[in-house]
Amino acid sequence: MSESKPRLKDGPNLDKENVVLEVDTLRKTFGGLVATNDASFQVEEGSITALIGPNGAGKSTLFNLITGFYEQDSGHVSVNGVDVTNAEPHTVAEHGLIRTFQTPRKLEGMTVREAMLVGAQDQIGESFVSLFTKPDAVEAQERKNLEDAHRILEEFEIGHLAAQSATDLSGGQMKLVELARAMLAEPEILLLDEPVAGVNPTLANKLRDQIARLNDEGVTFCIIEHDMDFIMNLADPIIVLDQGRVLVEGSPEAVRNDDRVIDAYLGGPGE
Amino acid sequence: MSDHSIVRDPKGYWADLTGAERGVVGFIVVLFALLFWGLLSGGLGPAYFMYLVGLVGMYMLLSFGLNVQWGYTGLINFSVAAFFGLGAYGTALLTANSSPLTGGLDPFFGIIPVPLVGLVVGLLLAAVLAVVIGIPTLKLRADYLAIASLGLAEVVRLIIKNQDGWTNGSRGLLGIPGFFDGWPVLDTFPQTMPGLRFAELQIGIPGVWSTRILGFTLGQSFWQSTLNVALVVAFVAATYVVLRRVHQSPWGRVLRTIRSDEDLAEALGKDTYSYKMQAFVLGSVIMALAGVFFAHLNLFVGPGSLDPINTFYVWIAVILGGTGSNRGAMFGGFVIIAIQEGTRFLGSALPQTLPVDLPSVLGVINSTYGTVVDNFASTRLLAVGIIIILVMRYRPEGVLPPQRELIWPESAKAADVTGGAVTGSAVDDSPGPDDEQARAHDGVDATVDDADATDSASDDADATDSASDDADHGGKSDE
Repeated sequence: MSESKPRLKDGPNLDKENVVLEVDTLRKTFGGLVATNDASFQVEEGSITALIGPNGAGKSTLFNLITGFYEQDSGHVSVNGVDVTNAEPHTVAEHGLIRTFQTPRKLEGMTVREAMLVGAQDQIGESFVSLFTKPDAVEAQERKNLEDAHRILEEFEIGHLAAQSATDLSGGQMKLVELARAMLAEPEILLLDEPVAGVNPTLANKLRDQIARLNDEGVTFCIIEHDMDFIMNLADPIIVLDQGRVLVEGSPEAVRNDDRVIDAYLGGPGE
Repeated sequence: MSDHSIVRDPKGYWADLTGAERGVVGFIVVLFALLFWGLLSGGLGPAYFMYLVGLVGMYMLLSFGLNVQWGYTGLINFSVAAFFGLGAYGTALLTANSSPLTGGLDPFFGIIPVPLVGLVVGLLLAAVLAVVIGIPTLKLRADYLAIASLGLAEVVRLIIKNQDGWTNGSRGLLGIPGFFDGWPVLDTFPQTMPGLRFAELQIGIPGVWSTRILGFTLGQSFWQSTLNVALVVAFVAATYVVLRRVHQSPWGRVLRTIRSDEDLAEALGKDTYSYKMQAFVLGSVIMALAGVFFAHLNLFVGPGSLDPINTFYVWIAVILGGTGSNRGAMFGGFVIIAIQEGTRFLGSALPQTLPVDLPSVLGVINSTYGTVVDNFASTRLLAVGIIIILVMRYRPEGVLPPQRELIWPESAKAADVTGGAVTGSAVDDSPGPDDEQARAHDGVDATVDDADATDSASDDADATDSASDDADHGGKSDE
């Protein structure tokens, strides 16, 4: 597996063409609580961008806003230059933005490879009519998707799980399968919500290697993570959220040494 | 669920079944043996036997419909009876000569039989109602559909009961023709077969059921009941073939994903609202199909057919058979009719008093026994309740749970071969040496799969055979 060195860039590139995900003054309140407070940031193509912040900083809310699971109060989100503000989650996914969930979602009664196949996009066989009008095309595509699924599982070194029940996996294996399934969707950008939470260190390293490998292959990542060792060795840039706002954005070193970040995590003198 | 055809290799077929499947096969065989014994001994009239087969088919259709909604997609629909009733009334209002709306139509353009139009109308009505109720509820959580459908069932039933000028109200619609009345060729067949006249058939049957099956006493002929059986067999077979295909297709996979986790389906780019709507409409149309058949089987429909209890019978059939499994739905429908109709006869078959003499202190037992036997038909709810409790306790996934893996058959087979190659040895595009020891056991798997593949390739001619072997990874593991 490839080395997981952060890919250093020569400064922020504000050229819009390289921006895969753009979040513009996004705001969301739940009653009196401002969960996302005019947050703005960009994720550049080919980067691994991390979103960190103390508990309750609004990271997951931000993800849910971006992916269409929540409706924002104001602001805009665009993926690849397409405005997906107010779009439904499946539309956002169709534009190439795939997310995973904090707690892995189980698919009951499916095998791993079957659960993988759900990830494939633009399936002819997902149209009821096509099942009867073009069965051959459905079959050919299903076969190709199944081969892809097997190949991706092999790349993730979990090929031996293919025929296992998707509910009988360990937490770490589920995270791997989720990532593998997301890859079957051939996303332009992947949003991972705490990919190594509750995963043992060996598997976590494996996951990091996989993310680095996929990144080398051109997939852009945006990752929420609490495990600092994990994320500092992997991501660049790092965006720190606090109380729904973007507090700091920069390289791992810059973020690590920033007083405001330390304050936010440890409870500083306040503002 | 086997590589062995039941015709060519009954032993191999039997050996491949799981314990539950053997139980089911045994149960059906025993029940049919009993029925045939009843037929031969004259205790059961052939026409009534046909009617029973019709009812079984009807319940299978209803279970299929609910299985699409609840079993595949997780939609909680408590208005099964309403969609069923809509199908039944849809066709009855066009064809019955007592229909206040039409008074029974003549064949369209002189050749198109009215029941055929009734079929289309019944299904359309159900589809429209499903869309109308689906629009506001399917965007919400599953519980909202449950509540809305519970109300819908009552609304539809009460409208039918009270809208006298359209539906005859609680008197119901009499004089519905058989499904094949007015058809160009079929209509010309002899309506009564010699030696099988209706009057004879009635002798063997105790009067218990005659009140309910009004259609029979109006003189339905043997020929027509044969046609009815053929019709319901065709309906069930066609529905089963369609459902089996869609269940293991990518479309069905999306539905099953929605059932497990709707958010996940959305996150993977599936428009869950649209899929839920499709599943809801499809299921409702299948229920209406059962209704259309029922109207032409029973020749009478009334608001009683829309009673909520019928909805719950169908739910029990689906849960008992195995939620999400088409075979389970069929079996569940069968069991429900076996209980419903079996309890009619058991009461009269049992001795009227306890066969043993009890001391007079225990007279209460004697009198309870007498009461139970006298009213045996009303114990069916008790029987159903006990069965469902036992199933839930000992086999919560149902008697015939769905196969563990459902992938478009031919693709899965092909992937087993190529998949074996990927996991095992000789990956075509593999850069390195291919004997990675860590995966030794996958190599074994691959050989097994290969053997399967050649096996089924050799009996390619037998479609059912080769189509069902995709499941045998999981199929056997459920015992």
